[in-house]
Amino acid sequence: MDITLFVQQFLNGLSIGSIYAIFALGYTLIFSILGIINFAHGALFTLGAYFTYALMGEAFGLNGLLANAALPVKLPFALALILGSALAGLVGVAVERIAFRPLRRKRADSLLTVVSSLGVALVIVNLIQYLVGAENYTFPGNTYGNLPAAINFGTAEKPIPIRTVQVVIFGVSVVILTILTYFINRTKYGKAMKAVAEDPITASLLGINTDGFIVLTFFISSFLAGLAGTLVASSVSIPGPYFGIAFGLKGLAVIVLGGLGSIPGAVLGGVVIGLIEAFVPADYSAYKDAFAFGILFIMLLVRPQGLLGRRFVQKV
Amino acid sequence: MAGFLSTYGFLIVSMVMGALLGLSLYLPLMTGQLSLASPGFYALGGYIAAILSTQVFKVSDGLYPIGLVLLEMSIAGVVSGVLGVLVGIPALRLRGIYLAIATIAFVEVLRVLSLNLDITGGAVGIFGIPQPFLTPIEYLWIVIPLLLMSMVLLYRLERIRLGRAFTAIREDELAAGAMGIDPTYYKVLAFTLGAILAGVVGAVSAHFLNTWNARQGTFDASIVYLTSVLIGGTRTFVGPVLGGMVFTALPEVLRAIADTAGLPLWLAQFLRDGRLIIFGLLIVLGTIFFPQGLVTPDLFKRRKDRKSQS
Repeated sequence: MDITLFVQQFLNGLSIGSIYAIFALGYTLIFSILGIINFAHGALFTLGAYFTYALMGEAFGLNGLLANAALPVKLPFALALILGSALAGLVGVAVERIAFRPLRRKRADSLLTVVSSLGVALVIVNLIQYLVGAENYTFPGNTYGNLPAAINFGTAEKPIPIRTVQVVIFGVSVVILTILTYFINRTKYGKAMKAVAEDPITASLLGINTDGFIVLTFFISSFLAGLAGTLVASSVSIPGPYFGIAFGLKGLAVIVLGGLGSIPGAVLGGVVIGLIEAFVPADYSAYKDAFAFGILFIMLLVRPQGLLGRRFVQKV
Repeated sequence: MAGFLSTYGFLIVSMVMGALLGLSLYLPLMTGQLSLASPGFYALGGYIAAILSTQVFKVSDGLYPIGLVLLEMSIAGVVSGVLGVLVGIPALRLRGIYLAIATIAFVEVLRVLSLNLDITGGAVGIFGIPQPFLTPIEYLWIVIPLLLMSMVLLYRLERIRLGRAFTAIREDELAAGAMGIDPTYYKVLAFTLGAILAGVVGAVSAHFLNTWNARQGTFDASIVYLTSVLIGGTRTFVGPVLGGMVFTALPEVLRAIADTAGLPLWLAQFLRDGRLIIFGLLIVLGTIFFPQGLVTPDLFKRRKDRKSQS
């Protein structure tokens, strides 16, 4: 592999990996606070993309209940991205109220919560299909304004073109990760969130409103899912309501690789899987999706706590 | 009667197979493990039968011999069992959510492989799988004995040491371990038994459906069977059997309700196209209000008590 191609694939892998990272962070935040995987996360990823698409004033297709409907507003992409993700965040809060809180109140087996989140995922995905159909939706061509389609990272003689979308994705991801790290480690709210994750009962004795912080966690997590969904969709397209499910499954491989519940682990896992996929030889690209899961299996065998996870000791 | 059987033969056989798949998900649940791998093994079993019958045995004239179907079922069972052990051991050493994640990964890997390999026919799949019977309803000769056998085995299983070990692990894995039960061994055993059953059902199903492709064992299918088991009941094998039957028939029932006159148009359309939305709502409501499912062991006990009183 010559050096230009290597650098190109490396940068592409970094970009995809950064998306995996912010998406997987959403899983991790909820897991670290509740010890539960939110299987509706992939559905919220899809939902975010559809929200942003709608907020940009684009029309929906002929299938589904909302045939040809379009919002009267045409927001610029940056604004639609933030609003769409925030809407996904609000749906995440609703998911917590409907599918998680009743079971938490009953102190139900965490397996049941996993199952009810699967149920929510099924409802969201099929509701999307029911409302706007299963067709492919492409973001408008001028989504990124007047930016050129690709940016050259090499010299004029040896060009290393990278699609602008990938650069934007990487930039947004880094900004989001920085804000989130600052929020969690440096602010009062972030520290309270960490306290709830460590021990909810002690945290509530210290005067922390645990339910409030669980809601906040769901909002942030689902916001990240919606954001990731929109960015991926703006880079390719929305291939239908099921696209988040496949992405959601891959996110599971990312968090197992990084370590369940570890925030730096989710970022590292995302970047590693993004890079590995970028370097899958073209002959085997059809098998690309299987690689992440192969890694997952190997991790379970060799180091079940993940790259950066803490060893989990069960106490009576 | 003959008319009824020819109209509903396909549905009846599907219902019995739904019950069998429900049982294959119920087995790992007996030890408290959520496995979503059944559709994966089901798909695998189907591919084994499809490949063997179209490329290896090649019976060209007349009906396909039932003996060969049984042979394919055994091979599918053995392969699924071996693979079940291989997948189960790494995943089941760990507690909690790991098995669900590992089984999802397993199903996805199988799906990607079957979409890309030549032997599985790629995205198109395998066509023209030979028929051992003239009509769909005759498949009952295979699936009913299979269901009865599985039910008898499970009925016994729930009453011997093995079944009690499963239950002990489900209730409290640490305590069970302290009582001298090896949790990993029993969890892998339960998972593998489920895998074998799913593989065997897949082998029949490939003949029954005549064609087999990568859509047979998807994440979606996992969730539908999971619904049937959870709503049916996770504390006795009767639950998954009833749940599997009812949920296989549910789309047809919903379609029939949608066709009744006098329904508002939006409701009729929702009943026809919103099947999976209804499934999802049932999962959420079921886990919250009926965490043990609708058919619970208490149901039988109470009836017995009432009988003995009267």
